[in-house]
Amino acid sequence: MSGLSLHKKLEENIGLLIFGILFVSSLGGLVQILPLLNQDMTEAAKNTRVYSALELTGRDIYIREGCSVCHSQQVRPLIAEIERYGPYSRAEEFIYDRPFLWGSKRTGPDLHRVGGKFSDDWHRVHLVDPRAVVSESIMPGYPWLARRNATQAGNIVAKMRGLRYLGHPYSDEDIEAAPGQLEGLKEIDALIVYLQRLGTAYTGERSQ
Amino acid sequence: MIDVNNSTYHDKVVIRLIQFSVIWAVVAMTVGVYLSAELIWPTIDFGQFWLSFGRLRPLHTNGILFGFGVSALMGTAFYSVQRTSHVPLFAPKLAWFCCFAWQLVVLTGGISLLGGMTSSKEYAELEWPFDIAITIVWVCFGIVFFGTIATRKIKQIYISNWFYGSLIIVIAMLHIVNSLAIPVSLTKSYSIYAGAQDAVVQWWYGHNAVGFLMTGGYLGMMYYFLPKQAGRPIWSYRLSVVAFWAFVYSYIWAGPHHLHFSAIPEWVQSLAVVMSIILLLPSWASMINGIMTVSTAWEKLKTDPALKFIVLSLAFYGLATFEGPMMALRSVNVVSHFTDWTIGHVHSGALGWNAMVTYGTFYFLVPRLVGVELHSVRLANIHFWLALAGTMLYIIAMWGAGVSQGLLWLSIDEIGELSFSFKDIMSSMTPYYALRLVAGLIFLGGTVLMAYNLFMTLKGRDAVVVKVPPVDPAYGVNS
Amino acid sequence: MNDRSYSFLLFKSLYQPSIAFEELAKVDPSPFNILIRYSIWLLILPPAFSLIGAANFGWRLGAAEPLMLPTNTLVLVSVAYLCVLIFGLLSTAFISRWMASTYGASTSLGRHVALITIVGEPLAIASVAHLYPDVFVNILILIPTMIWSMYLLYKGIPIVLETPPERGMLMASSLVGWLLVAAVSLLGLSVMLWTLGVGPLLGV
Repeated sequence: MSGLSLHKKLEENIGLLIFGILFVSSLGGLVQILPLLNQDMTEAAKNTRVYSALELTGRDIYIREGCSVCHSQQVRPLIAEIERYGPYSRAEEFIYDRPFLWGSKRTGPDLHRVGGKFSDDWHRVHLVDPRAVVSESIMPGYPWLARRNATQAGNIVAKMRGLRYLGHPYSDEDIEAAPGQLEGLKEIDALIVYLQRLGTAYTGERSQ
Repeated sequence: MIDVNNSTYHDKVVIRLIQFSVIWAVVAMTVGVYLSAELIWPTIDFGQFWLSFGRLRPLHTNGILFGFGVSALMGTAFYSVQRTSHVPLFAPKLAWFCCFAWQLVVLTGGISLLGGMTSSKEYAELEWPFDIAITIVWVCFGIVFFGTIATRKIKQIYISNWFYGSLIIVIAMLHIVNSLAIPVSLTKSYSIYAGAQDAVVQWWYGHNAVGFLMTGGYLGMMYYFLPKQAGRPIWSYRLSVVAFWAFVYSYIWAGPHHLHFSAIPEWVQSLAVVMSIILLLPSWASMINGIMTVSTAWEKLKTDPALKFIVLSLAFYGLATFEGPMMALRSVNVVSHFTDWTIGHVHSGALGWNAMVTYGTFYFLVPRLVGVELHSVRLANIHFWLALAGTMLYIIAMWGAGVSQGLLWLSIDEIGELSFSFKDIMSSMTPYYALRLVAGLIFLGGTVLMAYNLFMTLKGRDAVVVKVPPVDPAYGVNS
Repeated sequence: MNDRSYSFLLFKSLYQPSIAFEELAKVDPSPFNILIRYSIWLLILPPAFSLIGAANFGWRLGAAEPLMLPTNTLVLVSVAYLCVLIFGLLSTAFISRWMASTYGASTSLGRHVALITIVGEPLAIASVAHLYPDVFVNILILIPTMIWSMYLLYKGIPIVLETPPERGMLMASSLVGWLLVAAVSLLGLSVMLWTLGVGPLLGV
């Protein structure tokens, strides 16, 4: 059968056409994605720590407020970036990131190595009123984070159970203790704990 | 065999979808203008969480993509699939369900984004209850569309239907795979993919949502409405066939070019570069096909203000599909990535190509649907120049901002130290952002003019009843 | 070689573009003549202004202090700038003539060169902004000028190339497509050169 007559069949048979589109369009995804899903990173990631209840709460607040719209979390292996932000990002650092928060735009600076760069107090002022510490900043303020309790940011027990189902190593004790760890704290505290932990999972040499 | 047919086309649902699409265009573009103002005056969110940039921005993108974009695509697909199949819509009640259910999903989904319900995955921000709702409406859309084709009276399936069909099939596949997640409450779920895997899956989705929605879907629109307006068959049917399969095959590979220099394997990045460059061929094949079709039908421009928009949209389509592969090259991407150049690139496609081809189609279709002349040709001509000026200004402002950012971020001095602080680079962007705000206002102004023009054209009128014409036996299903 | 004077190209086109276009439509000039006697003087302006401005003030990209480059580098950049402009003018004229047959327009290369010269003239004059080499100031001055140039393009094509306004509109839009692609290619090419180590020092 020549190519043309084969194509005539496609043009006249909707079932074949649907199948053709589905087949041709799925090839690329299969080749690119399947090998990655089977990648085993347990050895490489043995130093990567799972998020604590407070860090997880902070991370979900980071997601809720859309921080990743303006801040990337992906230091590229370029001289200037390593100098500006720190060691470049490695795949094994992200194995507990659901979803990934690499971002696509740097209206503000990259945050993957922000942990430990500023004091908790600096963050506390900066998150509520960024221009109080950086006069040129165009970041929005988040005053409500200082008013809302950390326990209001979702059911931490259900979240940790969900993540355990996906393979995150939380023990029963971890999950039981979780609500207590959020008690008395505000959302801003959880977010700061998360920011201070960012990028510290990498244990290799810190470049200067 | 000649069909004696007394049935009529279902066009009321088309009108309603066009109206929704125009409303979403005005709303989502207004949000966009507000966002661009926030980047200049960061305090105009007044400490309100729902006006905060991080929550408003997904509303802008989702409103444009799913409100303005999908409503327009659904409406024009319903219109053209009936004409190219010579039958009324299959399951017209289901078509009405698609029309209203979709608006409900976009509206409530938009509100949920302001409420902080988000997966944070770009263009897939809506949480799991909405993902399920989208899937249901999408399947219904597919049933109506493919059902109509299955009951057609014309033997050959016209090329525009392939593009609309690929939109429906591939978006369904992408949406379902990328949205797989474990719900932990009504408002929160965790992706079943983590870290680098999640990144690859997300950009496989993100890139091809642009590919099959904003390119494939709109090419369907172009392949039906351009020959219709020009009153001529498509310049080369064979070229469109080749371009279609090359497009469906190669687009899907290019996603990882959004992840250059990241923690995904090098071979995935390299493969994406190669396929991105190949992608230029089918993209430009469709552009050339469009330009050549219209080049012989220039007399139509005398009477029809709509054709101009489609002609110009092809020029911007040419730009965007050239700029994309160029930005996928690693040596360009190293400078352009994470900068406003990306934002400019998206808008050269979204404003210059998607919005303009839609505007052209609406100006053509709306008067015909109700059987009158367009309310004001003069307003449409003014709109044309506003759209052109707004798009150009937007693109150039973002080129300036993006290249400056990329260059200054990476600049080092002779002893290898960074030349500029992030803060200084960021604060020097204000003039470009101001220019972009002006560009957005100009473009929005044009869109508001069109909304008024179409409203006055439609006001108090009902869809013309169009009977399904008899089929020439030479082209009928039993030929 | 045709030695007629086409001074309307440079002067009348500024204040009475329609009349200049109509005069151009009556003649069939030699492209070489137009290029050497008229276009080249306009094309020299932007590199010259940029050389003077950059040597005295340095380029300001927004952040921090201006970028001062050594004089011989500046001369090299200016010569490259001139070459790009000449290439841009000629390639646009050739592409325009190539498109002409599709749109039933005149294929006189001289007229195409002259038309592109008229269209580019406001930009060449506005490049006086290069004397103050701040990127934003330049964008602010050149964008309105560019809109004027685009108006001249849409207005000029049907008159000069003797084609109906509607076909001229199609042809102008196709040329805009080419110009956009050319502009972005230039941008991409510069960026590639930078990352390869030519020009400013980048930490990549």
